[in-house]
Amino acid sequence: MNFRQALTHGFWRDLPPFRLVLGLCPSLAVTSAAENGLGMGLAVTFVLVFSNMFISLLRKVIPDKVRIASYIVVIATLVVLVEMVMKAFFFPLSQKLGIYIPLIVVNCIILGRAEAFAARNPVLISMADGISVGLGFTISLGLVGSLREILGSGTWFGMSVFGESFEPFGLMVQAPGAFLCLGILLGLMNAWSRRRGEIFIQT
Amino acid sequence: MREIGRLVLVLVVICSVSAGALAWVRDALALRIEQQSDFYVRGPALERLFGRPAAQLLNNKVMVDMGGVSYPVFFTRENGEVSGLAVEAPGHGGYAGDIVIMIGLDRARNQMLGVEIVSHGETPGVGAQVEKEAFRQQWQGLSANEATALRGEGGAIDAITGATFSSRAMVDGTNQVTALIKEHQEEILALIAAIPDQAGPEVLP
Repeated sequence: MNFRQALTHGFWRDLPPFRLVLGLCPSLAVTSAAENGLGMGLAVTFVLVFSNMFISLLRKVIPDKVRIASYIVVIATLVVLVEMVMKAFFFPLSQKLGIYIPLIVVNCIILGRAEAFAARNPVLISMADGISVGLGFTISLGLVGSLREILGSGTWFGMSVFGESFEPFGLMVQAPGAFLCLGILLGLMNAWSRRRGEIFIQT
Repeated sequence: MREIGRLVLVLVVICSVSAGALAWVRDALALRIEQQSDFYVRGPALERLFGRPAAQLLNNKVMVDMGGVSYPVFFTRENGEVSGLAVEAPGHGGYAGDIVIMIGLDRARNQMLGVEIVSHGETPGVGAQVEKEAFRQQWQGLSANEATALRGEGGAIDAITGATFSSRAMVDGTNQVTALIKEHQEEILALIAAIPDQAGPEVLP
C-alpha cells in the first residue's frame, strides 16, 4: 500500500464499520444523535492516529511475544487521555457517551490497524492510515447518527428539520433503529459495489 | 534468560511512561474537570435538592476529610442558621467502581430531601437505572442520622431488579453520609461558621 492509498482506503475500500464490519458496538450504541456519533468517531480517530504512530515507532523495539500486551497499554493510555480531555472540555458529550469512551480500548478497529498495519509500516504512512480509517469511521457514525436523529427525533444536531407537524419515527432512536439503519446502509453499499463489480468480501 | 529480561524490560518501560504521562495530564486537568462537574452535575443537583439557583449554592462549600479523601459538603442558610446540607460520599460496591452520590439534608426536620448521583460507571440500561427518579424518590423523608438498607436486608429501599449491586452501592453511600453526620456534625458546622454569610438576606424561593 502506498502513501496515497493509505490516506484514502478508509473512506471506501476499508470503510469502518461497513466494510471492515469491525467496531459495531459503538456504531450501534452511541449513534442515537448525530452529535454523539461524530464525537465518538473523533475520539476513535484521535486514539487511532496516535496508537498507530506510537506502535509504528516502537515496532522494532517491542518483542513479538509481548506485542499485544504492549499495544493494549499504548491504546489504553490514549483512551484514558481522551476521556480526561473530554471531561475537561466537552463535559456534556462525555456524559452522553459515558461508558463507551473507556470501551474504545477494546474497539477492534484500533487493535486491528495496529496489528495489520502499524506494526509493519513506517511512522508517517501509519498515521495516514489512522487518519483515513478514523475519519471514515467518523463519517459513517455521523451518517448513521444523522439518519437516526432526523427520522427518530425530527432534528439534526439539535436543530429542528421538519417543523412542528412532523411525527417522529421513535423506533429509530432506540436500539432496533440502530440495527435497521446499519443493515439498510450496509445492504445498499453492497448492492452498489456488486453493480460496479467490486470485490467487497474482505479476506 | 536474556530474552525474558528483554520482554520484561520493554513492558516495564512502556507501562512506566504511560503511567507518568497519565498522572501528569490528570494533575493538569483535575481543577478543570472539577469545575465542569460543578457546573454540569453538582449545580443542577443542588438546584433540584434545595430549589435555589445553583450559582448561590455552589459557593457555599466546605471540604470534609473522610478516610484520607476530602469530599465537598454544600450548605444553605436561612436567617443566619444552617438550614440544609448536601453531603457527597462514594458508595462502594458498584458494578464498575464507586457510585458517588450527593444527599440533601433538611436540618430542621432531620430528614433527607433526596439523593442525586454525581458520577458512576454502571452499565447503561441495568445498573444505570439508579439514576431514575422513581428509584431515587425513595430517599425523600429518610432519617438523616440512621443507617438504612435494602428492603430484603431489613431496610426501606427497594432494590432495582437486576441491579442489586448498584442499589446496594447507593445504600452504602447513604450510610456513609449518615455516619458522617452522626460523627462529624459539629466539625462540619464549625467549618461552615468560618464562612461569612455573604449573600446577606437571602431571597427565599
